[in-house]
Amino acid sequence: MVPIKYNVRNLVVRKSTTAAAAFGLALVVFVFACALMLANGIERTLGRAASPDVVVVMRKGSDTEMTSTVEDKQVSLVLAQAAQIGAAKKPVGVGEVLAVVLLDKVGVDGVSNVTVRGVTEDVFAFRPSAKIIEGRAANPGSDEVVIGSGLKGRFKGMNIGESFELKKNRPMKVVGIFDDDGSAFESEVWADVHVVRQAFGRSGSVSSVRVRLDSPSKFDAFKTLVEGDRQLGLIAMREADYVEKQSQATGIMLKILGGMVAFFFGVGAMIGATITMNAQVAGRSREIGTLRALGFSKGSILFSFLIESLVLSLTGGVVGAVAAIGMKAVKLTMLNMGTFTEIVFGFEPTPTIIISAVGLSAFMGLLGGFLPAVRAARVSPVEAMRG
Amino acid sequence: MSTESTNERTSKPNAEAKAMQSDVPEQYRKNATPERGKAIIELSGVTKTFFRGKEPLTVLDGLSLSIEEGGFEALMGPSGSGKSTLLNLIAGLDRPTSGKAIIAGNDIGAMSDGELAKFRARHIGFIFQSYNLMPVLTARENVELPLLLTKLSSTERRKRAETALRVTGLENRMDHYPRQLSGGQEQRVAIARAIVHDPTILVCDEPTGDLDRKSADDILELLTKLNVDFKKTILMVTHDPAAADRATITRHLNKGRLE
Repeated sequence: MVPIKYNVRNLVVRKSTTAAAAFGLALVVFVFACALMLANGIERTLGRAASPDVVVVMRKGSDTEMTSTVEDKQVSLVLAQAAQIGAAKKPVGVGEVLAVVLLDKVGVDGVSNVTVRGVTEDVFAFRPSAKIIEGRAANPGSDEVVIGSGLKGRFKGMNIGESFELKKNRPMKVVGIFDDDGSAFESEVWADVHVVRQAFGRSGSVSSVRVRLDSPSKFDAFKTLVEGDRQLGLIAMREADYVEKQSQATGIMLKILGGMVAFFFGVGAMIGATITMNAQVAGRSREIGTLRALGFSKGSILFSFLIESLVLSLTGGVVGAVAAIGMKAVKLTMLNMGTFTEIVFGFEPTPTIIISAVGLSAFMGLLGGFLPAVRAARVSPVEAMRG
Repeated sequence: MSTESTNERTSKPNAEAKAMQSDVPEQYRKNATPERGKAIIELSGVTKTFFRGKEPLTVLDGLSLSIEEGGFEALMGPSGSGKSTLLNLIAGLDRPTSGKAIIAGNDIGAMSDGELAKFRARHIGFIFQSYNLMPVLTARENVELPLLLTKLSSTERRKRAETALRVTGLENRMDHYPRQLSGGQEQRVAIARAIVHDPTILVCDEPTGDLDRKSADDILELLTKLNVDFKKTILMVTHDPAAADRATITRHLNKGRLE
């Protein structure tokens, strides 16, 4: 076998062409890894909002809480059904209203949708992962709100002591900021359920009911009970499934977008790798001929140049992957395609994403380097004799 | 080893050969006692025709030739006379269009590409006009290349490469890259590479063509030593009459035929 140091040193000697080709590959890996990391970030952000034992009950036919209406009397019924199946400690469940307000962004021109969730006073007891990190909880029945940490400072009025308009001439004062392990709730405003209902004219109903069962295994029984009563016209789904459905649209869109960008960039980078390797082969035909003359087989020449292309692409791949991991520090906002509200999320790398991104570079290197390697293997040993 | 010492050493070939062979591995001595008179290269009625478009071009025209084991022969002739083509056939780089070429017992015309590669790795040591060293490998690594096709351990490969470099007088240049060497030194590395796997035949294509007179003489001295002391069969294509003088037999090729 031709020693690998022969290939590596040849790449090092031709620094600028190697760097240019590796940069192209690095870019593809970067874009590809970032897209996957974003999709993962979104899924995780939304996924964090899901507890395995929580069930979301909405009106049949509603895809999101935003479009669902559950009447107050149905809320009591659902809570009673949950208690019958076996619910967790108090509170058994909460009926919440969802609304959307348009807020001015800070730093950039424009407005964006922000979700306002009308919550009951025991919301923090129902969601133990949510904690006030600054300020205090809102007083029940008042015009006070707490905001998720993802909103802080990003919209006008989104800071402790500041206020925003829930409706025209209906100012709400921010008194606290909460964290929820990076979940999508962190991109919400939590106000009193009665205040929100009143402001949006939704008295007598809520958007959804969430109940916490004492075991995730009781879901099926609960679902049968809720959905069995046709007059209620409600559906029950695990919070995890609900959230997944919410993030699916955005995640799929991102993956398709990232995949497409990576594909087109990838074709470009692969052509770049092919050109680089072709130049290497053309410039070294006498060396290759000499190796053939010395007795190295066509196969070992082919292998040698594939290795060279692989080393080139892996170099690019690792650089791209490291740069992508660096994006972990960047936070982004995006419209949730499920609810059309803004959520804040980050790039979240996983070993699988990094390995597949670097794997992609290896694949591009091998594919792009294949024809030049075949060309190298076809160099006649007689080339060695040409002066 | 300096140039001077090379001359000095070759002036007493027997002592030198003994001294040299004491640290030469067994493999080197295997072919050191050729059977004089036995033909190692046998060509009969060899024709080589190339096609330029549809136009056939006969470069070798029914050529017959026999070279004895342990011989040192020079091949001369004007450009286009077929010297290189003949050398390529003997080295197993190419096959004859017709006729038979038996080299070290192998019928070149009947071998596949893979078989020819193995044949070259085993039997042929190449010395090129432009040295053909790998610029990114050190002298030692260049010399080790043919040994990568053997089953030798890396320690053994290294040892043999160093011995070959000592034989060619480059023991102090082992870790130098080709660009750090003079033309003469580069050709010595190439010669070390050509002998490191103890081939049956050394094929030299204008070995002094790119060198000044002094370096050329040193290289010719080294080739003579390899022939006299190490009993290597050498076939050398050259334009240089001084080079041809070193050979025991000089053949002239003209228009694809031996004169």
